[in-house]
Amino acid sequence: MRVIIMGCGRVGAGLAQRLVTEGHAVTVLDTDSFAFRRLLPEFKGRRLQGSGTDDRLLIEAGVEQADVFVAVASGDNRNILASEKAKEIYGVKTVVTRVKDPLRAQLFNSLGLRTFSPTSVGIELAHDALVDEAGR
Amino acid sequence: MYIIVVGGGNVGYGLALELQRLPDYEVTIVELNSRRAASLREELGEMVVHGDGSEIAFLEGVGASRADLLIAVTADDGANLVTSQVAHHWFKVPRVIARVNDPHNEALFSRMGVDSIVSASGAVMAQIEATLPEHTLIPLMALESAGLRIVSMRVQSGSTVAGQTLKEAQFPAGVLITIVIGAEGAATPDGTTVLQPGDEIVAVVPRGAEETLRDMVTAGPAVED
Repeated sequence: MRVIIMGCGRVGAGLAQRLVTEGHAVTVLDTDSFAFRRLLPEFKGRRLQGSGTDDRLLIEAGVEQADVFVAVASGDNRNILASEKAKEIYGVKTVVTRVKDPLRAQLFNSLGLRTFSPTSVGIELAHDALVDEAGR
Repeated sequence: MYIIVVGGGNVGYGLALELQRLPDYEVTIVELNSRRAASLREELGEMVVHGDGSEIAFLEGVGASRADLLIAVTADDGANLVTSQVAHHWFKVPRVIARVNDPHNEALFSRMGVDSIVSASGAVMAQIEATLPEHTLIPLMALESAGLRIVSMRVQSGSTVAGQTLKEAQFPAGVLITIVIGAEGAATPDGTTVLQPGDEIVAVVPRGAEETLRDMVTAGPAVED
């Protein structure tokens, strides 16, 4: 698969490494070139500096041919803007979007984006862990 | 009428100044930056609220579910897109207007069903076009969800429609001529209204019909002496 990942934080970099290992063609975008330090030196994908909401950068990253677009940059709104653009304008089939605000994640999920909220997931995990520990 | 303006920059501030003068309007301005919000509050008072207008829980708190109109005019297109979607889909605000800062984003905003789009560069281009003597068709407003535009045109002498009645002119299907501004002032036209060179027309135009309309009110290529 041809995959574009927007945001080279811990999640973006880790996901990029994993997908490359699985044999996929990965391009990672970040506004800050320093973020690329999180990738291994021998990382076989492409690194592109710039904003994932910028059409010129998206086209340079190959959005028109991409199979998957993943938005895991820091801002919810930027992730949503870039994802909607990838899906609606460039016709990327699979778009996955991180939205920290649970309600916003829920709304855009109902509007057709595949969103996930690390906040909701974190609450579930923390809750289950404490109930489990307290019950011992 | 309750209006929420999201974004207290120059555009939002200017809007709020205009809106608060109207007697039956209740206006709330939402500003994300706390210092900007504080300085706006000093001037405009209680109507200014500090917070994130793209957050559902916050918008609930400022009464978004009873708003008649929400206008998203921050400098951040992501925030404007999300805010307009939240207003439209979550709070069912009857009318939503969003500002587009990057002209590349206009197509996406239209596809996402924002009622009206205010594009800074589009507005500036319209201003420039209006000052040109040769101007023929100026976009005034886009009603994206209906696929319509409101435009202003000036009838040139020697054009197809100059001297014709509206009935004779046979504008493309769906074109609605709402006002004709001639030498004697503005008038609501009917089929017998004659279009004179120099008249200004305000029309509602379906998407795609603008070019035909432009050709009809424009004279052929100028012949040089």
